[in-house]
Amino acid sequence: MTPTLARGLGVAALLLGTVVPAFSQDITFTDQEGREVSLAGPAERIVTIPMPMASSVIAIDGGTDHLAGMNPVSKAAITEGILGKIFPESRDINDSVTAANFVPNVEELAAVNPDLVIQWGGRGGDLVDPITNAGMTAMLILYGTEERTRGYMGMTAEALGKPERFAEHEVWRDAVMSEIEAKTKDIPEGERPKVLHFSRILNGMSAAGSGNNYNDWYINLVGGKNAAADLEGSKPVNAEQVAAWDPDIITLNNFEPGLTVQAVYDDPVLSLTSAAKNHRVYRLPLGGYRWDPPNQESPLTWMWLANIVHPELFDFDLRAEMKSAYKTLYAYELSEADIDSILWMDMQGDAANYDAFQAD
Amino acid sequence: MSASEEGLASLARPFVRMPRAVAIYVGAIVVLALVLVTGVSVGRYAVDPVRILDIVGQSLADPFRDLAEVDERIVMLVRLPRVLLVALSGAALAVSGAALQGVFRNPLVSPQVLGISQGAAFGGAMAILFGIWGLPLLAIVFLSGLSALALVGFIARINGRSEIVTVILSGMIVGAMFSALVSLAQFLADPNGPLPAIVYWLMGSFASTTWERLFVAAPGLAVGMILLWALRFRLNVLSLDEAEARSLGARPDVERWLVFALVAFIVGSQVAVSGIVGWIGLVIPHAARLMVGHDHRTLLPASMLLGAAYLVAVDTLARTMTAAEIPLGILTALVGAPVFAVLLRNHYRDRTAK
Repeated sequence: MTPTLARGLGVAALLLGTVVPAFSQDITFTDQEGREVSLAGPAERIVTIPMPMASSVIAIDGGTDHLAGMNPVSKAAITEGILGKIFPESRDINDSVTAANFVPNVEELAAVNPDLVIQWGGRGGDLVDPITNAGMTAMLILYGTEERTRGYMGMTAEALGKPERFAEHEVWRDAVMSEIEAKTKDIPEGERPKVLHFSRILNGMSAAGSGNNYNDWYINLVGGKNAAADLEGSKPVNAEQVAAWDPDIITLNNFEPGLTVQAVYDDPVLSLTSAAKNHRVYRLPLGGYRWDPPNQESPLTWMWLANIVHPELFDFDLRAEMKSAYKTLYAYELSEADIDSILWMDMQGDAANYDAFQAD
Repeated sequence: MSASEEGLASLARPFVRMPRAVAIYVGAIVVLALVLVTGVSVGRYAVDPVRILDIVGQSLADPFRDLAEVDERIVMLVRLPRVLLVALSGAALAVSGAALQGVFRNPLVSPQVLGISQGAAFGGAMAILFGIWGLPLLAIVFLSGLSALALVGFIARINGRSEIVTVILSGMIVGAMFSALVSLAQFLADPNGPLPAIVYWLMGSFASTTWERLFVAAPGLAVGMILLWALRFRLNVLSLDEAEARSLGARPDVERWLVFALVAFIVGSQVAVSGIVGWIGLVIPHAARLMVGHDHRTLLPASMLLGAAYLVAVDTLARTMTAAEIPLGILTALVGAPVFAVLLRNHYRDRTAK
């Protein structure tokens, strides 16, 4: 999609957004716990309690105007990352509406007076009941798969009265996904590099296994094979097991502060894996949100990993893709320096196949 | 209390038990040796037993040689330090449990009673919360374990002396306080970041053992154990009534705190390198007591051998059963609680049958 078309749709959405409430048309949809969510009109004040949702709301809405409150951890991620630079006003958004562990603070919530609270589903009533008992509207979302991610992003767009923003976004997700899939779906098992994702590596390691695990999903999408597929979800492992798997490529999470690829090269056993010997160790980039869990920038994650896992098949111009995506998502022109810092060029610019991401 | 009666009884006839004790020691040493060899021989990465002998032999001949191959590093840098640290921790935890049970004249106490584990856990949780890793983390854990004991000492010392009951209650107070602070750290932690790290660490695991960690923990564990062994006669006296102990020339108050400090050294060192590992100090001394009786001169070494063998066996299961590391604390509790229940029932059934 061209940026002009995207802009055009954005303007159309804005117009619609101002017209629709005049008819005070109800918005009704079913959330991911099967509850009916009903709004008197497009949500004007949204509170997001799950971590990735604050940046998703900003991306779907194209700004921070309708984000009335968020998780303190989301706020830290936003203000410390590139979103804080794009949307400096996000520093003033309330982050006392919930504790980091997703338990809502009802009094603070009531003071913020949201018309929609986005909360995790599938984690019991304690996280939800305080919201609904106080008479507020909750939309519950489930974590983990591409399908769920699309589901809740679509619901969010609907709640904002901007379903076309998500429709447009979904076109992008589909396009990138099918372009990658077309090249990888026939790769035989034996030619798929073994990829190991460390969801934790400082002071004890955890590997991302299979099941409803997003890392596992996109490893397979880009034509890799999850080295830790025996595990269900993210589980602690020891160095010996990693040596037995002998991954061809290692990816590191974006959650542990201060983590660098040196954690692998400095370890006596991990440094002897094929991945380390061939300099194929990479930390996931940190964009508008961390690139490891599903979010609005996921297609960029897939393209990044596809170039790394199958350089002979893929040749995405990631820098150009990032610029166009940031324009659509956040109406922001990424500078070359922004891109270098998102992709950790300083830390891993010399890793194998990373020259594909160098600025010209 | 019955435990002290039996303690007296076994004191009165120490030599009658000796031959049986010798047989038990030989058996325990053989079992420990077998468990240690098995621990070094098995793992998720297959290494041929002959190759292991070769690797260990070469390293004995030249301890500082360059380890270039994966299998060499796995045997020498992953398995060996881990098995040794686990053995040392198991031995030291069992001995501290035995010593505390003697001092409190109560078979149900463990290092947890003094709040040391909780204090150390709090230090670890805070360190992880603030992104502190490596040696500074170990130092923080160790110091917070010791400060928990100091706090217990401060609270329990009333009018210049501390009664056993006030010590236990103070330990509960301090333990409860630090448990609450651990919960607070968990509450504040980012569920996508430090929180899982804190949770795994609290469950206990030797998965990140290195020679460096072994050398960090070994002095505290070894010195604590040796000094408790040196106190074996005093422990026999301390396990008597307060009045009897005084009449035998003991200064129960001072000696008790000496034991507590040694236990804090041991537990702080262990928690620092491997998180919370419960039940060893409770189950092992019981098993040892059933085998060699209540005399601390035989009870301490028996606890040492059994504790080492038991923890190495459990840890070997934890790291080999599945591709994922099973947190050790879960296994020690799952195995420990039922074993303890059986021991308890057998013990009292025999006694009532008499």
